[in-house]
Amino acid sequence: MDRTLKTRLEARLGEHLRVPVYQRQDQTEIRIDPGSVPEVLRIVHDALDLRFEILADLAGVDTGDRMQIVYHLWSPMTTDWLRIIVDGISRDDPRTPSATFLWTGAEWLEREAYDMFGIIFDGNRDLRRIFMPPDYTSFPLRKDFLLPDDAARSTGAGVRHVEQAHTPAIVADNPAAGIRRTPAS
Amino acid sequence: MPARPTAPRPQNSRVKARAAQPQPQQQEPSADDPRVMLDRQLGTLYEPIPPYPTRTEREGEFYSLGDGEMFLNLGPHHPATHGVLRLVLKLSGEQVVDVDPVLGYLHRGVEKICENSDYYHVIDQVDPLEYVSSLFQEWPAVLAFEKLMDVQVPRRAEYIRVLSGELLRVASHTLFMGFQALDLGGLTPILYGFIERDEIVEMLAALTGARMLFNYFRIGGVNGDLNHEFMSRLGDWMSRAAKQSQAQSALLNENEIFVRRMRDVGVLDRATALRYGVSGPNLRAAGVPFDVRRAHPYSIYPELDFNVPTRDEGDALARYLLRVDEIRESIKIIDQCLNNMPDGPITAKLPRLLRPRPGRAWAAVEGPRGMQGVYAMSDGTDQPYRFRIHDPSFVNIQTVPAILPGGLLADTMAIVASLDPIMGGIDK
Repeated sequence: MDRTLKTRLEARLGEHLRVPVYQRQDQTEIRIDPGSVPEVLRIVHDALDLRFEILADLAGVDTGDRMQIVYHLWSPMTTDWLRIIVDGISRDDPRTPSATFLWTGAEWLEREAYDMFGIIFDGNRDLRRIFMPPDYTSFPLRKDFLLPDDAARSTGAGVRHVEQAHTPAIVADNPAAGIRRTPAS
Repeated sequence: MPARPTAPRPQNSRVKARAAQPQPQQQEPSADDPRVMLDRQLGTLYEPIPPYPTRTEREGEFYSLGDGEMFLNLGPHHPATHGVLRLVLKLSGEQVVDVDPVLGYLHRGVEKICENSDYYHVIDQVDPLEYVSSLFQEWPAVLAFEKLMDVQVPRRAEYIRVLSGELLRVASHTLFMGFQALDLGGLTPILYGFIERDEIVEMLAALTGARMLFNYFRIGGVNGDLNHEFMSRLGDWMSRAAKQSQAQSALLNENEIFVRRMRDVGVLDRATALRYGVSGPNLRAAGVPFDVRRAHPYSIYPELDFNVPTRDEGDALARYLLRVDEIRESIKIIDQCLNNMPDGPITAKLPRLLRPRPGRAWAAVEGPRGMQGVYAMSDGTDQPYRFRIHDPSFVNIQTVPAILPGGLLADTMAIVASLDPIMGGIDK
């Protein structure tokens, strides 16, 4: 646990922190609002006493009543992992700024979070599904997406944000057989 | 020169007879014909241009052809894509202009499965993701759970983990060397690669009971202690490991065709690698000495003496040579583990049903392909609330659209192979 990291973070990001910096084992955790994502990422990446240069991971989390995005960052200046929790993303219209302006590699990680949770990352220019087929309509890692035997009853099924454009065409093609790829015209 | 008058060619009688017959009317097949429907669907399945409106700016940009450009669909079933990776290549002549990797053919939703199984079950669920070196997928999972529960792992268990992990790293890198040559058309090195790997895998089978999906690490330790068969096989292998890997790399390092096809191909420079979050040998070949074993030490790595080799070129050859260097470092680590192996228990005492207090934990280890991470959240029940797997191949393969353009189609496979992707991990 790096105690000095806590004071450095507090000094740099004072007004952005929603709750006090939390430290446990080798991890330092901060919580921020979606609005301050670009600014906070820019500061922890560029500040000379922080230098969190490597984006170790980007994970989506569905807490049941809201969404979270969790960044894990690595810096040569400390022995701790930095965990940034972007908290308070609305579950009905989940939107958060993209991190691709800083790490191009966040693009696919965000596509994955979109695919699994339906979270829209503003500024990601390639936000489409990455694992599930393009005509898929659910977000499987949401907590209201149940396992296959009762997935159809789940309210997590059928939610679609950016891919709404071509839904009607596909559904209209084969309503009886459910969702199927449109034949080439 | 006057053209030679051409005599009418004599037609044989059968052709004449056929021409005389009235041609049957070509019937337009009905759209309802099931065969036609199947044909159309199969036709669109792997057609490069998606049969739906483009969804994003980037997709629209990619799927519009410029002058003299064409699409080439590579995969998903292609022997050189290391699994079911599909690359849609945009070509101008023989030059690659752009790439759109399409993933998901192996997606099984392992994270969801893990979130619905208890803590002990997670270990064997994550095993098949990294199917070449599956211990490195178990390792971050058990590390994250140990952090959640504040479990102290016995020292002997730590040594056994490092020992088996480094053995598997050697196996994975040797196999990589073979596959790299195979994708360039050389058939011999893969045989040596498999011979070497088979020895290690048989050795680990004696230790763990399985050849590929070991399911060996446990929360708080390992499943079984070192046994006689493992130790005798290991001793046998160690006596000639260094020499053997030297021989295998000499087969390629001094092969002019191999070297010239790899040098200055698929250059991944330092800045791009950092922006993309690349890790492992691919990052170190670009000159960044980031190795989780040193950058954020876990287990007993701080006590061990080994180097983190780096190279500056960042091309496919550098990535290959770096792995050769890493094999030597791993053999050094195995030697130290064997010399310092302590006595004692191999697992911590834990209850049958694990219910960690609510909390979050992130753990990362250095696998043969880069940083393998796990982010686990507990809500106090016996199942992880959130189980996130970070796979290095996923991030590494993302650089393909950045490093392929400008290269030749023939180099595509060499570049993809030099990133050493494992599709099980990429697609989760």
